[in-house]
Amino acid sequence: MLPCGTASWDSAVTWRVNGTDLAPDLLNGSQLVLRSLELGHSGLYACFHRDSWHLRHQVLLHVGLPPREPVLSCRSNTYPKGFYCSWHLPTPTYIPNTFNVTVLHGSKIMVCEKDPALKNRCHIRYMHLFSTIKYKVSISVSNALGHNTTAITFDEFTIVKPDPPENVVARPVPSNPRRLEVTWQTPSTWPDPESFPLKFFLRYRPLILDQWQHVELSDGTTHTITDAYAGKEYIIQVAAKDNEIGTWSDWSVAAHATPWTEEPRHLTTEAQAPETTTSTTSSLAPPPTTKICDPGDVGSGGGPSIPFLTSVPVTLALAAAAATANNPLI
Amino acid sequence: MLACLCTVLWHLPAVPALNRTGDPGPGPSIQKTYDLTRYLEHQLRSLAGTYLNYLGPPFNEPDFNPPRLGAETLPRATVNLEVWRSLNDKLRLTQNYEAYSHLLCYLRGLNRQAATAELRRSLAHFCTSLQGLLGSIAGVMAALGYPLPQPLPGTEPAWAPGPAHSDFLQKMDDFWLLKELQTWLWRSAKDFNRLKKKMQPPAASVTLHLEAHGF
Repeated sequence: MLPCGTASWDSAVTWRVNGTDLAPDLLNGSQLVLRSLELGHSGLYACFHRDSWHLRHQVLLHVGLPPREPVLSCRSNTYPKGFYCSWHLPTPTYIPNTFNVTVLHGSKIMVCEKDPALKNRCHIRYMHLFSTIKYKVSISVSNALGHNTTAITFDEFTIVKPDPPENVVARPVPSNPRRLEVTWQTPSTWPDPESFPLKFFLRYRPLILDQWQHVELSDGTTHTITDAYAGKEYIIQVAAKDNEIGTWSDWSVAAHATPWTEEPRHLTTEAQAPETTTSTTSSLAPPPTTKICDPGDVGSGGGPSIPFLTSVPVTLALAAAAATANNPLI
Repeated sequence: MLACLCTVLWHLPAVPALNRTGDPGPGPSIQKTYDLTRYLEHQLRSLAGTYLNYLGPPFNEPDFNPPRLGAETLPRATVNLEVWRSLNDKLRLTQNYEAYSHLLCYLRGLNRQAATAELRRSLAHFCTSLQGLLGSIAGVMAALGYPLPQPLPGTEPAWAPGPAHSDFLQKMDDFWLLKELQTWLWRSAKDFNRLKKKMQPPAASVTLHLEAHGF
């Protein structure tokens, strides 16, 4: 029920919302009646003297909801420096809300510093470690229509969860068709990996399969996979956890790699002349491809694959070189 | 009121002196101590679960968050972050040793009162393991040349029959004992990790030095 300012009930007025006229059947005398209020009713309402169009009153209407119970969670990804708490409302209220967070450690009140960037997060610094007393974080949210609160209680150790490892890189191992070398770094947010070491969990699978292989590693930031399927592209991820307390981090950004494969030999047959035993006429430079020199491949016994371009006319050699250059083999 | 007669602990048999031939240094015994804290922490989890169930609600409720009243004589693991970081090795080891000495004593008291035979067995087993941890810490201290802490004459903890307090308060004491034990074991893992990292480079040089003297 919106009254038209100080106008008497029987004044002749017209109501408009955001400049659009409203039907007279919504009026009760000079008052506007909005039934079954919904979000679409928000707007600037104005009432005018019907004959003179003199603006008598206007009011900005915000339709909103009282806040539901907020969702609150806390986590320490910077143990032992501190922890942060973040919150949100399960459903929007459509009107401004204010949040108030209090942190109690036993009977002691701790300061939760607002995050500089995120509105729904604040940070607490640990003053003491190895406490037997739980932390209690309460949040209250209020807006013009109502108020709600929630609280959580936890031990120092239970909320420890590092950020995922960074810079996960997987590389093929030269001359090893079943190996992949994986390296990563401890998350940069973990302040003291020396005193508070992390252990790691690695998972990998070829893209074509659904089942992951898992390896748990108690230290070090490298691992060599030795049972990769030859020639198949792999996806690899790593997670981290404090050695003794808390939970595993989320999985890292995935690294992709394919194990080393031997350079296919068939490309050389196009350029190969009928085999001759004398190969002293070679004055041609070797092809520009980066061929990995595998002792077994080059043939220590002077097999047919050695200077395979020597007896070939120049034009063919160049064509072969061009062909191989277009086929990267790694 | 928790109080304890603990004379027997303060007179542990002297740990053999540093073996001069081919001694690898304190590194392996620090690792062993670390491993023992992890083993004990694991053992405590099931022991505490059983014991708290025996105490009944609210002690066995996960959200139970009482104020820390009484149990003032329990050694507290909690420490200021900067103070903990800057503890020297001797102090770090001494604090661990003293804490577990007291905790073991209180645990033995708990064992005396425990109602069921099964609980007494579990507690006795845990006490034995805890005794092993104490011996391990003593070994590390001896290897590093630190003296074992001795109680000052006259301040030796003795059994003090405190003011008779209720069954509930006694259970609260038991609750805090188990909580403090759990926290100390977590702390010790971190303490020994720190010691391990510090000991790594010097360990090799100590060995070489001793071998030279052995000739």
